[in-house]
Amino acid sequence: MSAGIISAQGLTKVYGGGTRALDGVTIDIEEGEWTSIVGPSGSGKTTLLNILSCLDSPTDGEVIIDGTTVTGLRQDDLTVFRKKNIGLIFQQYHMVPYLTALENVMMAQYFHSIVDEEEATDVLRGVGMGHRLQHLPRQLSGGEQQRVCIARALVNEPAILLADEPTGNLDQENGRIVLELIRSLQKEGRTIIMVTHNPEISQLGDRIIEIVDGKVRSDQRTREE
Amino acid sequence: MLLRILGKSLARRRGRIAFAVISVVMGAAVITALLAVSMDVEQQVAADFRKYGANLVVVPQSDTIEVGFPGVTFGSVTEQGYIEEEDVWRIMRISWRTNILGFAPFLYSVVRADSETASQDVVLAGTYFDRDVEILDRYSSSDPEAITTGVSVINAWWLSKGKWIDRSDDYRSALVGVNVADKMGLEIGDTFTISFKTHGDGNMTTSEITVVGLVETGGNEDNQVLVNLQLAQDMTNRSGKVHTRQVDALCTGCPVDTFAEEIEGEIDYVEARTVKQLVSAEMSMLGKFEGMMAMVTMVAMAASVLGVTTTMTTSVIERQKEIGLMKSVGAERRKISLLFLSEAAVIGTIGGVLGFVAGVFLARSIGLSVFDTAVSTNILLLPVAIGISVAVAVGASILPVRRAQAVEPAVVLRGE
Repeated sequence: MSAGIISAQGLTKVYGGGTRALDGVTIDIEEGEWTSIVGPSGSGKTTLLNILSCLDSPTDGEVIIDGTTVTGLRQDDLTVFRKKNIGLIFQQYHMVPYLTALENVMMAQYFHSIVDEEEATDVLRGVGMGHRLQHLPRQLSGGEQQRVCIARALVNEPAILLADEPTGNLDQENGRIVLELIRSLQKEGRTIIMVTHNPEISQLGDRIIEIVDGKVRSDQRTREE
Repeated sequence: MLLRILGKSLARRRGRIAFAVISVVMGAAVITALLAVSMDVEQQVAADFRKYGANLVVVPQSDTIEVGFPGVTFGSVTEQGYIEEEDVWRIMRISWRTNILGFAPFLYSVVRADSETASQDVVLAGTYFDRDVEILDRYSSSDPEAITTGVSVINAWWLSKGKWIDRSDDYRSALVGVNVADKMGLEIGDTFTISFKTHGDGNMTTSEITVVGLVETGGNEDNQVLVNLQLAQDMTNRSGKVHTRQVDALCTGCPVDTFAEEIEGEIDYVEARTVKQLVSAEMSMLGKFEGMMAMVTMVAMAASVLGVTTTMTTSVIERQKEIGLMKSVGAERRKISLLFLSEAAVIGTIGGVLGFVAGVFLARSIGLSVFDTAVSTNILLLPVAIGISVAVAVGASILPVRRAQAVEPAVVLRGE
């Protein structure tokens, strides 16, 4: 296994009302690893994912991603770091409703650097959406929308892919397709961190970190090295 | 890509965008209309006022001699003075000379007029009609060497029929006031005689002149016979003298009182009197119009700002998830700002163009109903209307854009 790509040390997140979402979480994730983060609702796993994806900042603690200390960066610097290194997949898909599948992917290219329609098309084809390029989100099923979102997360070729309940709103068949996609991405060498409620899905990862009440309760590997 | 996002975003929210555009149209229309009216009617109003005659009258200072004993005054005797004709060009030496549109000297005398049907005393007014006056000592080397001036220049509207006397050495022609023409049965082409008896020696000078035009001013000129100054001077034996000089120095925004002071400084034996009533009426009317313009413009602009701010704020609130998503995939704050400010610019541009069109019609309506004049379409106002509309729309979007910048993706994209 190669060196750790993400290192979180003593992460604490306290919200305005005094709610302590994370309480001294320390984890190290290695490059190319698929890590499942599990835990009951309100345990702090999504907060952890937000901090690791540079969408949020911890109240205390430090996050180092690929050698860069991201805690303390300004909002725009965090955005720039995120777009260069991290791809995000959401449970709710979150597509721009008036843009087609292809345009939603191209939008990520635009905010990253240069728009390349051919490349965006190829990525969509790679997730099995080549036949739905010009469809609007409302014309796509949940599974199709999630595949577009995966394509959008991949188009800028991030080293790290963070997914928050990516199959949470999908039926079994679409869930399977999405998980296979994620598996193939890991095989390509990407680091995957996935938040899930589902114990079966969590077993697909190399490692399962359980968060309870903002703390790491367990951190175990699913299979022997 | 920005244009694609922009176009589709605007198309999707046509209703709201239309509301914002209408807000901008209102402002742009009012600004266009009032600028058009201001530029066009203001000139016409000034021109209309100018038609009523000069607004400065230069007269010689009068020597007034008090009559009586110490402590007891019976009254005063005023000695009639003259202005030397050779000094008339000096008016072009004041610093405001470029605002002087023209002037005309007058020498008045009471003469006897005899036509075929009537005989009566009339006022003979000798003046310049259309003459090149040489400026002997120019204020600046860039000044012209001569000015073409006279009654036909400063009071073109006086002529009701016929033509002006176009030669300064024409001593056989006259313009006759309509009242004189009516009483003496004179028409254009008729010939009549004027006679002047000199005080003292009682010599009689007579000239035969032909009516070339009729003058109608509604004032004293209707009762006068106007001839070339030289003829009046020769007949009355007052060579080189004039009584008054009318000066057309009317302009908007320049101080007529200062004109007067400068003229008095240049020709030390004259008084320059402003036709205050006329000037103040014009200034008052133009001032009121400009005041109204500023007020209506401010109200219209406020309405535009309010409309755009409301629309953009609603847009930001409705699109929080979209903004959060854009940020999550790498949109920095400046790119979010660019997107919304571009929307505002499009709204401003469309509103500016439509507002210009509406403003042109509004200006015509105002021109006809308020000033009884047709306001012309000034295409130069189109970029002005667009520029102001874009500035208003972009300015009104600053607060909503700040709100968009502050959207936290982690909060708005939180899974339900």
